[in-house]
This record gives sequence, structure tokens and C-alpha cells, in this order.
Amino acid sequence: MDRRPLLLAAVLALAVVATTVAVPAMVSARPAYEIPVTAADDPDSLDSAEGEAWTEVPAAGVPLSSAGAAVPGGDDTTVENVRVASARTDERLYVRLSWEDGTRDTGADDVREFPDAVAVQLPANESARPPITMGSTDNPVNVWYWNGANASQELLAGGPGTTTTLTDSELRTAATYDGGRWRVVFSRPLAGASENRTTITGTRDVDVAVAVWNGSNMERSGQKATSEWYYLALGPGPQGPPYEAILWTVAGVAIVLTTLVTIEGVRRTRGE
Amino acid sequence: MSQTGSGEDVRLAEGIDHQVAMVMDLNKCIGCQTCTIACKTNWTDGGGREYMYWNNVETKPGSGYPRDWEEMGGGWDEEGQERTPGDLPESEDYGRPWEFNHEQVMYEGSDEPLRPMDQADWGPNWDEDEGAGEYPNSYYFYLPRICNHCTHPSCVEACPRSALYKREEDGIVLVDQDRCRGYRYCVEGCPYKKVYYNAMKKTSEKCIFCYPRIEGEGPEGEVMAPSCAEDCPPQLRMVGYLDDEEGPIHKLVNEYEVAVRLHPEYRTEPNVYYIPPFAPPQHSESGESVEAERIPRNYLEELFGPAVNEALNTIERERARVERGEESEVMEMLTTTDTADQYRLEVFDE
Ligand code: SF4
Ligand code: SF4
Repeated sequence: MDRRPLLLAAVLALAVVATTVAVPAMVSARPAYEIPVTAADDPDSLDSAEGEAWTEVPAAGVPLSSAGAAVPGGDDTTVENVRVASARTDERLYVRLSWEDGTRDTGADDVREFPDAVAVQLPANESARPPITMGSTDNPVNVWYWNGANASQELLAGGPGTTTTLTDSELRTAATYDGGRWRVVFSRPLAGASENRTTITGTRDVDVAVAVWNGSNMERSGQKATSEWYYLALGPGPQGPPYEAILWTVAGVAIVLTTLVTIEGVRRTRGE
Repeated sequence: MSQTGSGEDVRLAEGIDHQVAMVMDLNKCIGCQTCTIACKTNWTDGGGREYMYWNNVETKPGSGYPRDWEEMGGGWDEEGQERTPGDLPESEDYGRPWEFNHEQVMYEGSDEPLRPMDQADWGPNWDEDEGAGEYPNSYYFYLPRICNHCTHPSCVEACPRSALYKREEDGIVLVDQDRCRGYRYCVEGCPYKKVYYNAMKKTSEKCIFCYPRIEGEGPEGEVMAPSCAEDCPPQLRMVGYLDDEEGPIHKLVNEYEVAVRLHPEYRTEPNVYYIPPFAPPQHSESGESVEAERIPRNYLEELFGPAVNEALNTIERERARVERGEESEVMEMLTTTDTADQYRLEVFDE
């Protein structure tokens, strides 16, 4: 009696079971440090920090810790987490950050008053990852900065203490504070890369790091809560919906195959 | 560090060609605030600077401006190596600009005296002339203050962006308005509280030693001493370079050591020096002079460090010489009314 088909059937059956259990888990656990980028087509809604469109965009929870910079109180930071979501249309890239902060600090009108602030840091040139501490002279970073006291700024930095404002910025921001939570949306046209401005294409991931300042704790400058390097999943890598689809296709094919092989095996065993 | 011909060591900050400096003779200050107004109308009458006095004159003993600035920390540790953290003053410590009833008095014919409307509970030199001590031996003196353009400025070190810097040509300490992002570490770091935050411009600002005047940028293209010095009625400020061996600054500071630094223990090495106040002795109830100094030495030591003792002793000796009809270069320098002797700003010009 030929036992091989039976064995094959058993193995395949096991594989189906394993795949069925594992696949959903695998697709919901994104690769570490990934910030998924959702394709969307409602720019007006994305432009607003509370826009409907953002409910459809998955966010990554990003842990923060103090940057440890050599300024007085450099280690004294208060924000521990920020949620980062990203979406793109054909024209623009959007990044929305949201974090908890019990006090809404939007002034800098008194000598002891500092505003809440947030920044997104991208390598100015995507070909090499710059040092996380604001880049370096030969590997600068492009920074999108917003604070509660004034409009946003686009900056270039080549190491700590070197930020310079880029004057021809096309950066847009919108912010809301509600229920003890800041929500800030940054967006930039996909086009418009330059020597000092990150190239964003749909074909490559882009490194990204974030920083948050709590104004009521007099946080400013290097006294800030920062993340490690993450990446905006813009490239074709194992990510988001295509990744999920491939896995489910593999699983589906396996189920069909297994069923066929099992049937065949049973038939042969019966000597048909 | 540079060595002068006469052998005295004149310590200049590294990379500085010459160090501009000022000596103020506290025995002559009448507290008229002309210097304060001269500075204010020249430089700080713009938006966001209402509360700022790059030059201020406070009464000592007293809380000063900003209130209790001497308690706010900043400067360097004893070795002069590590910065000691300082505090940001409250805006109330500077004193908020007051509203006056100009409108009513000038235009509406009110009989009220001209006076501040409200919030008049603190301001620069609020404790004017209060001083300390008991009648008939109470005492006070005026202390005019500008940025000291320190040799080892903690404001410069405090800025993570190097927005403050010491000019190579004359050691003047300036804030680069384009680099400043309003972090205010300099405000914390200066133990003399001589950097101010402009909330309208969102940058820090400070005394610039009237550098356009000393560069001859005035209407006549003439080199002029800072406004606070030129406009002072009793002409108590001498201006020149610390490393100009023929000038009064070098002689008073390094040769005779009668001009001393304010709070040398902060270790920023100020380049503004003071001839300490030399008050008449105490009086008895019946009005007789008694053998006791009016301004307690320990208070002067608190302000000017132990060097104040030798300075006062030297001044006393020199005064005695003049009284005996002898020559005294120190007293000549301190009493001259010739501005050419008081301001030597063109000695290093090529
Ligand atoms: S007095 Fe203060 S502001 Fe001026 S140079 Fe010294 S440390 Fe800096
Ligand atoms: S102008 Fe001269 S006398 Fe008048 S307060 Fe200023 S330093 Fe003193």
C-alpha cells in the first residue's frame, strides 16, 4: 500500500491549520519601527487634525524617552508616547502625531512661558541614515517643526544646535487640542525635494524620528522626548495590504491543494 | 591671555584681540537714571522691550533689578569650569510696565496728579534710597549696571546654538538675532541677569556696548563712548581697553587695583569694574564723626569680593596724598573732566 500520499495529506493539513492560526497574527503585527502609510484620496479631510479620513488610517504607537542633551534639565521630559499615523494622496504626504498632555501651552509671551511643540525628523538625503541627534554636518536632517505659539517651520540641521529655517517651505500644519490630547498634522507635497529637503517617492521607505516638548515643564531645545529611527512604509517592502493579500493567497492555495491531495489519498487507499 | 609690557597679566578671552572695558566710580553716581534713559531711548524703546533696561541703576543695599537677581544663580562653580544652573526670573521680578493716567491729565483736564493706574507694586529701583542702617548712620549708594561683556561669559556657554558670541575685535558679547530661537538658557545662565527675553520677537536681547558708536557709525562718523557713559552728568564712567597700558582702565584695574569686579565669585570675569563707594564715617547722635565706616566692609565684600579692602585702602592712601599736596595719578584719573582721558577708544585703530 502506498502511504506517501497519506503522509503528504497529513503534512498539508497541518500546514493549513498552522497558517490559519498564524496569518491573522502576522498581518496585525507590523514589522518593528514601521509606520504604515495609507493611500487615501480625501486631502481636505486629511488636512484637518480631526478629519474623518484619519479614522481609516492605522497609527503606530511610538515610545519616547529624553534625548539626554547637554542642556540644563535635558533629562527632565514628560511625554512618553506619541501615536504616529501617515497617509498619502497622489500629491501630498501627511503625518499625524497625537499625544497626551494635560496642559495646553500655546504661549511664549512671558519670560517663563514655553509652548508645547512637536517635530518630525527626516534624513535630508535618504541614501544614508543620519545620526539620530539632529543629523551631522555631512549628513543633515530635514525637520518639520510645530509649536503652540506660532506657525510651523521647516528646518535643516546638521547636528545639535544647528537648526536653520528653510524659507521656501511648502509645509502645512493643523493642530487641535481636545480631551487632554494634542493632534498635529504635517503635510508636504510629494514633489519639491531638493538638496535640503527629503525626496519622497512611492517606491522607497523614508526614515523618520519624532520629538515632543511639554511647554509647562519648560521643555525646549534639547530638553525633549524623542523616538528612535522609525520608517514611513512608502516602499514596496513586506507591508500593509499587499503583504496581507499574499499571505492569504498562499493560505488559500494551500487549503485547496490539501483538500485535493487528501481526496486523492483517500481514493487511492480505498484502491479505487 | 596676553602679557603687557609692564609685566602685569591681562587676561583676555581666547581669540580676542582687545577687550573693551568700563570703570564706574560709584562715589560719583547720583542715581539720576540719565544713563538708563539714554540707553532706553537709544536701543530698547521698541516692541517687547518695555520691561528691559540694558542699563539700570539700583540702590544698594536693595533687591535690585530684576528683584533679587543675586539669588537667582548662574555663572560658574568655584573652579570656573562647570556652569552652575540659574533660574529664569518671573516677569513680576522685572516689574511690568505701568499704565499712567496721561489721557485724563493731558487731554481730559482731570485734576488728578499724574500717576500709575494700577500694578504699581514693583519696578526697577522700587526700593530707591531705602538702603540699610539706622539714623543717623543709615547708608545706601547707587549701582549702575550694564552687561559686563565678561571674559568667561556663562551666557555664551549656556546657549546650545552658539547664538551668543564674543566679538573677536573687542570682546563685546552679542546675540545673533538670526540664530536665537528664544530658548532663554542665556537668561538663566547670566548671573547678572543682563540678557532679556523679547516675547514679541521671541529672541534674547542685551546691552551691545553701543558698538555702532564705538565703531564711529554716528552721524558725524565720530567714535563715541557708549551713551550711558557720554550722557552721565557727573561723568563717572571711563571707557577703553583693558589691554591699553596707557589708558586709565588698565591702570585702575591692573596697576593700582582700585577698580574691582561686581560679584567676582560668579567667575564670569566681568569687564565692567567699579571704584567702590567711599562713604563718610559714622556720626554719633550729637553729630560728631566717629571711627567707624558707614558702609559696612562685609557688605562691600559681599558685593565686590575681598579685593575691595585693598582697593579702599589704596584710595584712602591716595586721597591722603592729595590732601598733603602730593601728586596722585589715581586721584587724577578719578577726578579728570577731560573726556579725552576718560574715553580711549581709538588707540588700537590702524
Ligand atoms: S554679564 Fe551676563 S550677559 Fe553679560 S557677558 Fe557676562 S554673563 Fe553674558
Ligand atoms: S547717569 Fe551717571 S550719575 Fe546718573 S544714574 Fe547713570 S551712572 Fe549714575
